[in-house]
Order: sequence, then structure tokens, then C-alpha cells
Amino acid sequence: MAKNTVKIKKPLMEIPFIKSMIVSLTTVLLGLIVGGILIIAIGKNPIEGFQKIVFGAVSNTRRVGNTIAYATQLILVGLSVAFAFKTGLFNIGGAGQMLMGGLMASIWAHNVTFLPQPIYYLSLILVAGISGAIWGLVPGLLKAKFNVHEVVGTIMFNWIAYWIVYDAVKVFIVDPTIIVKSKPIPMQQSLRTEWLASITQHSYFNIGFFIAIIAVVVIWFILEKTTLGFNLKAVGSNRYCAEYAGIKVNRSIVISMGIAGCLAGLAGLTYFLGFSNIMEIGKSPSEGFDGIAVALLGNSNPLGVFISALFFGMLKMGKGSLTAIGIPTEIADTIIAIIIYFTATSVIIQGFWEKIIKKHSEKKLLKQAKEEK
Amino acid sequence: MSNYVIEMLGIRKEFPGIVANDNINLQVEEGEIHAILGENGAGKSTLMSILFGLYQADKGVIKVRGKEVSIHSPNDANDLGIGMVHQHFQLVHNFTVAENIILGKEGSFVYDIKKASKKIKEISERYGLAIEPDMVIEDITVGMQQRVEILKMLYRDADILIFDEPTAVLTPQEIDELMNIMRNLAAEGKSIIIITHKLEEIKAVAKRCTVIRRGKFIDIVDVATTSAAEMAALMVGRPVNFKVEKQESVPGEPILSVKNLNVMNAKKVLGVSDFSLDVRAGEIVGIAGVDGNGQSELVEAICGLKPIESGSVYLNGKDITNISIKERNDLGLAHIPEDRQKRGLILNAPLTTNMVIKEFDKAPFSSKGILNYSEIEEYSKKIIERFDVRSGEGINSRAGKLSGGNQQKAIVGREITSQPELLIAVNPTRGLDVGAIEYIHKELVAERDKGKAVLLISFELDEIFNLSDRIAVINAGKLIDIVNTKETDAHSVGLMMAGIKKEA
Amino acid sequence: MKKTIALALMLLCAFAVFAEGAKETTATTAAALKIGMVTDAGTIDDRSFNQGTYEGVKKAADELGLECTYLRPNGTTTAEYVTAISDLYDAGYRFIACPGYLFAEAVTEAQKMFPDLMLVILDSEPTEAGANTVSIYFKEEQSGFAAGLATALQLKDASVGFVGGIEIPSVQKFSWGFQQGVKYANENYGTKIAMEAQNFVYSGSFADLALGQQLANTMYASGVDAIFAAAGGTGVGVINEAKNRRLAGEDVWAIGVDVDQYLVGDMGNGQSCILTSAMKNVGEGAYAQAISAANGTFAGGSIITLGAAEGAVGIPADNPNLDDDVEAKVLAVLADIAAGKLVVADTADGLHK
Repeated sequence: MAKNTVKIKKPLMEIPFIKSMIVSLTTVLLGLIVGGILIIAIGKNPIEGFQKIVFGAVSNTRRVGNTIAYATQLILVGLSVAFAFKTGLFNIGGAGQMLMGGLMASIWAHNVTFLPQPIYYLSLILVAGISGAIWGLVPGLLKAKFNVHEVVGTIMFNWIAYWIVYDAVKVFIVDPTIIVKSKPIPMQQSLRTEWLASITQHSYFNIGFFIAIIAVVVIWFILEKTTLGFNLKAVGSNRYCAEYAGIKVNRSIVISMGIAGCLAGLAGLTYFLGFSNIMEIGKSPSEGFDGIAVALLGNSNPLGVFISALFFGMLKMGKGSLTAIGIPTEIADTIIAIIIYFTATSVIIQGFWEKIIKKHSEKKLLKQAKEEK
Repeated sequence: MSNYVIEMLGIRKEFPGIVANDNINLQVEEGEIHAILGENGAGKSTLMSILFGLYQADKGVIKVRGKEVSIHSPNDANDLGIGMVHQHFQLVHNFTVAENIILGKEGSFVYDIKKASKKIKEISERYGLAIEPDMVIEDITVGMQQRVEILKMLYRDADILIFDEPTAVLTPQEIDELMNIMRNLAAEGKSIIIITHKLEEIKAVAKRCTVIRRGKFIDIVDVATTSAAEMAALMVGRPVNFKVEKQESVPGEPILSVKNLNVMNAKKVLGVSDFSLDVRAGEIVGIAGVDGNGQSELVEAICGLKPIESGSVYLNGKDITNISIKERNDLGLAHIPEDRQKRGLILNAPLTTNMVIKEFDKAPFSSKGILNYSEIEEYSKKIIERFDVRSGEGINSRAGKLSGGNQQKAIVGREITSQPELLIAVNPTRGLDVGAIEYIHKELVAERDKGKAVLLISFELDEIFNLSDRIAVINAGKLIDIVNTKETDAHSVGLMMAGIKKEA
Repeated sequence: MKKTIALALMLLCAFAVFAEGAKETTATTAAALKIGMVTDAGTIDDRSFNQGTYEGVKKAADELGLECTYLRPNGTTTAEYVTAISDLYDAGYRFIACPGYLFAEAVTEAQKMFPDLMLVILDSEPTEAGANTVSIYFKEEQSGFAAGLATALQLKDASVGFVGGIEIPSVQKFSWGFQQGVKYANENYGTKIAMEAQNFVYSGSFADLALGQQLANTMYASGVDAIFAAAGGTGVGVINEAKNRRLAGEDVWAIGVDVDQYLVGDMGNGQSCILTSAMKNVGEGAYAQAISAANGTFAGGSIITLGAAEGAVGIPADNPNLDDDVEAKVLAVLADIAAGKLVVADTADGLHK
């Protein structure tokens, strides 16, 4: 009897990853249900609406390619926010870090045309990663040295990046015909390749996606397998205990923000040299903030971030197809917003599932007891 | 048929991986003070939470005044006349006493604060609570806040009062006052249930005592006819030694030397001033003093958690005044911190993480920056087995899910297993039951006997006298004197704690 | 890990099957033309560029009884514009209006991708000529001229300023025309309107309401009486500041842009702080193209420039805040411009930014 109790209870809700996955899926489902109700409210068929979204996201290779292209920067920014979350920090500076990563990589792309392809790609990653890292590191330093909250610091740095881009694009890489954007980056200097374009009917699918996959694996490895990850998570969970244990708390904050910034800088690389091939002035990529939602839905777990970024990429790519049946695309944005809302209340959802599972196992026990009699 | 106000029969409550209550019975007579005695994590609080409607029992029957009831929420409990004083008070700090008491009981939309104040005053006088309705919570002492909680129950006409570890936060004087209040309440016909693991309190007030061990009902005893030692044995499951057995110390070379140390406190004044002290290998030096006389600052300065104004600290002859915390730990400094939940553990991390928190970056727990989980798990398992840390899921339990005593045992285990040269223990047994206290005391003495230096800081004079070979008395940040334990007594140490040094 | 991958694959398959169901419904045979529009950085109700364009295509669609919709892209990159265009295309739309210079790249790509799609781009042209795109430019300098003239004639002795969005040709031309109009009034009608260099600024954004308000606040406080706000959402900030100050009893004005912004400046008492607006009738331009697309006379590959001669620029028909004789004088001068008797320069020669 007692053995059975353990058997029934253990598997589902006690494994952290499965647990967070169930909670995340539930929030997605709830988001879809509420979105469906809204679609019904405007007199349309929700099933048809969802079919349209999926259709818009995966119906042909170009659309699949674009879905992945959307997801690419979401994965990287999502990882950035998730990594900072894990270490107890809130990186709201994804936009600025993307801008700096993208700007420096763009300038690099326009000027460094002599390197062989693999080394050139590596140099782009370094340039964008380091630029983004600096844009995360400095707010980290401000927090460590002067106790400036990282939310304040990173928002400030978003604006600094915004205005740097505003002027730097005009000075270094301006498009002479329209002074508000940069010259387009030629394909061989960008992350786009003929081959990827040709297999996806000229979508914006680019090698940034592979950079993102590598980043997911590397971040997972750092967090789970290394002393660095241990160190950073300890500071994130209880900085007083970490300090007591001899961990250099301020150093950890700076490193953590640096890595988070580096990831967002790479997102800038894939965004401005892959998804897009120009930089506009006076624009801040919304992906910097979408990353927060991605990280929340992915429960700050690298694999979870990967999956949730693909999901958000599908919604972003697919929602335009709603117009075909006269549903406003804002419905898709509403679904995203509702999912974020439910994610924020995931404790309640977790509690709900725990109750359900407990009831279920009790019933099973009762049944067993009866049978034994 | 009976005059029991409360009967809980065959109560069972399970949490994932642990049976918190297993077939527990509790019968409380009208007008009695009934104690529930058990170790930390024995299931006392769970039982009371069930009675108060915070949890539902999986099995069992609850009867109030002979009638079977089902209690689904604290509101149901209140309606049945059951009130509870929690360990952590539920008061709004910038509200007055009267406002706090009528909070949630305003009655109609417009409430009559004057009428309420009058009633509060009456109750306060009747039971000797000495509370004025217009006092503001943040201005009054912890002891008084607790009496406000009692008033709150009485205001709501509760006649069954549950006290959950009521003395944990009180000073000795406040404890005495509380005991008197309880007696008054019982004399007025109120029934009282007190949850505790402190035997002297039970001896002082309770009539009968229900003993719980590891979630199971053990016995119900008449307090007057049962000795403290007998009750302790029932609670722990074996005879308990109150007196620590130890040999004469054989001190060696000084391990810790503190020289003319000055440390600022949070208010930017000298919290420790011109403090000098040696702790030698193979001895326990106890620091006696009233809370807030510089003990925390002293310990934090030695450990590197607080900057030093001037002076120096030596460990094994090496100047450690200006080196990092990490380097100090590596040189053999271990520290059982004052606040185990703030400093000692990462509550949302598993025990494995907590057990290697100071050593994860060293072999064999990692090499070249990569963690070796099997070594970490094995090491953690070793600690929790040797130090009997009880938890729902073994080494994978989150530290925050452990009871206070088990958390403390985990910390003590970690610090001792790291094989330190110097062990600093700050209030190592605060809030623990006798079994755990006995265990930790034994371990501290064992460290001494292994030739380690132990610096003990405790606010409990008994503990200082029980363990220390020498006693250093601190007052207002200054060292008053160091005396051999054998050559002094509580009276003269008490005088020194008040800052009065006896004539040489 | 294995399980997760398996799960992901299963989900993907499920999606594929799910999407299959939607396919049939979208295989459209374009019986009647469907008219679409993709918004640029702003929203459909921006009372400016997007709204003007949409009203134009909607008018055409309503007259001809055709389906009409707009789509707001996820962002302002070429990729997102192309995605939005292809979403409309896949939904059966074969005429799509794209308001704004930001669409240049996207239209270039889309015209290659969808040869049977009729595209209209406003204020710009594709980077490579395409046989299925009509590009429409406007003579903003003429519109600015009319507004500058009207402002000068109405205020006679005052100081004026300018708040632009991003420094792009269409906005610059508004500014230059406005200044020429004021100068024209000073020289020919004896008005004394001051234009100081520091009062001609670009905010760097079309969407920063607070910044617009702040810039206007500074200008009005330094003695400027009227500000020409050619800055989309940022300009609304300027108008709000003018509104607040008028309500507080100050005699200051704002001059609107693109469409008649009289109602944007509505102060809730039946009056408006909008003196007049420098209009550029994007709606008419889009309307005409939609009609010709439906008629089969769509002239893909052409570049059209619309000005006073086409009646596409000027001031609103109704200007409650202008005197009748001011309106008459402005209309007379506009007629001269239309007839080519008066030339407004589209360069910065001797003018402020």
C-alpha cells in the first residue's frame, strides 16, 4: 500500500522540469481558451482562427523558415533574461544590448570584408557578444559598486544605446538615399546564406538559429554543470548565504550581467544581420522585452526557453493570417498577453494540478483498497 | 459523557514524501492548560493547523464540546470559539492596538472604535494584559505584541486558545509574564493548548501533556507527577542527558587571536572596541553577554563579513585581517551563523547544494570548473546520515522544507565535516528541542576534544556554562573579563554582563 | 531529454495535421479584387499617414463594393513588412498600399515574390524598378508653403517654430516650404514673422508624445507663438502643449500636418488650437490607385508626384481659425503654384533645417 502511494505521487509533479512544463502548457491552454472566447465574441470560429495561426506559421517552408527566424532572437533574448533570473537579477536591458550588439556587428560587417567565411562568422559573434556583454556588464558594475538597481541601470542603458545607434548609424553606415537607416548588408556579409534561403523559399531563416541552439546548450551546461553556474545560482538564491560561504557576490553580479548582455548582444546580431539587414534609427527592438515573456513561460530553463521562443515565434508569424478570415491580429497579441498573465500566476496553476493529482491518487488507493477487500 | 472541549481522534495528515500526523489523538479538558510536546518537525504545528482549519486532515475526527465538526478555514475555527496565536504575529504595524483587533471584525460599514476600545480595555484589565487600545503596534515590544494577539482572540470571544511556540521570541521576563497570563486565562475558564518543546515551560503552567514523536502519538502524561527527564525521554525516544559530559580540556597553542579589534556597527558607532581574545586549540571559549552588545559585530569581523576599523585577527599565527572570506574559510575557519535562514542556508536549493556551498569549487566536488555530482551527493548523504538530518526527500529536499532543528543540524554537520581549525558557533541551539541541543553540544565538545578551537557565542547562560572552558564577558563592545568556568558562577558572570567588573 | 524530443516531434506532427485543415479554405481564386494595406510604424488611427491612406483605399473599396482590410506588422523591419504583405497576399489580397519610406526594401522584395500583386508605396520607391509597383511622392514643400503663408498672414507679428519627426526628405520639405511661405508673406504682405534657427528642430521620433510636448513647452516658453508640428505622434505632443496653454489663456497655436488635424487640437469647448494644417492628401493618392487597380488600368512601374496642380497638397477646405481673407489669399497663391507661376523650392537653400 505505502509503496503504491509513493509510486503514484512521485512521477508527475515532483520532477521539476515536467512540473514547470505542465504549468507552462496549462498557461498556454488558458491563453488559447480566453483568446478563443474573444474570437467567438466577434462572431468568428475560434478553431478556424487557431488553424489560421498555425497555417500562417508552418504552411510552407518559407513560413516555417520565418517562424524560426522570428524565434531565433527570442531564444537568445529569452536566454539572456532567464540567465539573469536564475542568478537573481532582472535584465530589462535586452533592447539596448541587442542594439549595441547589432550596431557593432553591422559596422564590422560593412568594413571587414577580407576574412574567410568561418572566421568572419566567429568574428561577428565575438564583436556582437562583447558589445552586448559590455552593455550588461556596466549596469552590473553600477549595481555592485554603487547599488544602482539593475532595472534602473539597464533601462538607462537602453536609452543610451538608442541614441548611440541614432548617431552612429548616420556617421558610419548610413544609407545615402535615406538617412534614417543603414545601408543594407550584402548577403555574404550577413547571417543569411543562399543555401538556407533557397531551401525555404527565400525566408529570413539564417545561421543565427544555429548560434541560438549552441547558446541554449552552453547556457544549460554553465547553469547545471559548472562551478560558475553554482556560484551564480547561489548568489541569485540567497546572496547573504553566498557571501557567508565566501562567494564574491559583487563579482558574480557583474559576470552574470555580462553573460546576459552577451546573449542579448548575440540576439542583436541575429536580428540586425539575419532577420533584418539594416538598422533603423529611432527604433528599439521589441524583442528586448518579448524576451521577458519567453523566459517566464520557459520557467527560465534553457530548454523551456527554446520551446517557448518557438511558440512565440509561431504566434508572431502566424497571426497575420488571421486577417484572411477577418479576425483582428490583435487577438494573437491578446493571447500572448494572457499567457504572460497566467504565467505570472503560475503558483495557482501549480496548486490546481497538485490537488487534481492528489485526488486522483486517492481515488486509485480507494479503489485498490476495495479490490483488496 | 465527557467534559472534553476538544477531541481530535485518529488524525492523519500526509505531505508529499512524509507523514506529518499518523493516528494522533488529543483530548483537552475544559479550563485546562494542555501542552503538546514534541521535537522540531514532530508534527505539532500540523496538528494545530488542522484544528485551526489551515489544513484538512486526511483522516480522523474532530469534536468540539462533544459535537463532531468539520473545520475548513480559520473562520470556521473562530466561529467555534477557537483562537490561535501564531509564531509570527499577524498585526499591521502602523495601526493601533484597537484597529488591529477589530480588523476584519468591523461589523457594519461604519465601526465604533470607541466602543471597541472600551471593550478592549475591559478585557485587558480583566486578564492583566496591560495593553492600552490606542498604542501603535510598531512602538511596542514583542511581548506586548503577543498580548495584543491574545487580546484579539479574547475580543472575538474565543474560549479555546492555541499558542504556537509562544516563548520563542520572548525574553525571560516576558516569558514569566506570559505564564502568569496563561494561568489567569485558565482560571477564568478558558482552555489553552500550548505547543512547545521547552520542558520548563510545561512544568511551569501545564496540567497535562500530550507527547508526539515523528508524527505519532506517544503518550499523555500528568505534568505534576512526571519529571522533566521523563518527558524529555518520551519526546526524544531515549533518555536525555541535560548535563554535557566532558573531560578537562587540554588547551594547546592559540588558534584564533584577536588583537585590539575595533568594529563599527550598523549605526556607525563602535560596536566592538579594543577587543582582544585568544582561543586555543582544544578549548571552548564562550562569550557571554546580553544580545546586542557587539557579539554579532565581533563574529562578522572575524569571518570577514564586516570591515574592521583597526586591530588585527590571526588564525593559526597567520594574519587574516585583510583577506577574503573565501581565504579565511580555506584556512580552516568554520562558522555556524546566528541567522540560519538568512546566512546559513539557501532555502530554495536542495541539501546537496547547501552541503558543498563553501567547497563546491574544490576537488573532489569539481575539477576544472565542472561539477562532480556523484561526489557532491555522496558527501551530502554522509553529512545528513551522520548528523541525522531528517527530511522528506533526503539530500534532494529543499533546505526550506526542513524543520528548524534539522536545518540547524545540517549547518552544524556541514561546518564540522569541513574539518575546521576554528569553529565559531553563534547561538547554535536556539529554538531547538532538547534532543537536538544535546546532540549539537556533544558535537561541539567532540570538536574540542579533537584539538580544535571553538568560539561559542550564546545568549543562554546555561549553555555557556555547560560548554565553555573559559568565559569571556562582553558588554557594550568591550571585553569585561575572561574567567575560567570552574572559578566563577552565574551570579558574577551576570554582574559582568551588566558591565560591572569585580575587584581583582 | 529523449522524451522531450519525442514530445516536440509529436507536437509538430499535430500542428502539421491541424494546419492541413486550414489549407483548403485559403486556396483563393481572386474573383473580385481585395484591397489591403499594411501600416507603418504608427497605428491605423494615427490621424495622420496610416489613417489617411486607409481612408483612401476604404473609400475606393466601398464605392466598388470590394473587401478591404489593413494589417499591422509585428515591427518595422523589412522582414516584418514582407511577412505582412505575404499574409495579405496569401489571404487573397492583390492590391496593397504601403504608406511610408520604410517600405522601400519590403516592396522591392514583395514585387519579385508576387508578380501578380499590385503594390503602392507612398513617399518612396522600390530600390529596383518593378513592373507591379506604383510609387507616389508628394510636393510637401507646396503644402508647407501654404501653411506658412496662412500662419504668417493670420498672426502678422509673431515668432514661429517647427518640430519635425525624423530628418527624412518628406519632413524636411515640409519645413523648407513652410519657411518659404512665411518669407513670402513677410516680403509681399508686410507681415513681421520671426523664424529663429533654434526653433526649427527634429525630435528624432515619430512616436514620442512626451518629447513633443517637452520641445513645444520650451519653444512656447521662449516666446514662440505658433509651431508647425510635422512629427506624427510626437507632433500630437506639440498639439497637446498648445492646447494646454490655450486653455490657460495664452495665445499660442499649432499647425498640423498630413491630414486636417483640427480635431486633434480640439479643446473640448468647440474650439481648437490648430491654426491650420499642411495637408498632403495621401488618401486621394491611394484612392486613385485602388480605383485604377479595380478597373484594370493600374500603371505598375510608374512614379507619380502629386502637388498643388493635382489638388493633393494645401490647407484644409475649412479653417475656423483663419480669417476669410487669409484663406482667400492662400488659395490664390496655391492657384499660382498649381499654374506654375510661383515655384517653391524643395531644397534647403538659405533656410533653417
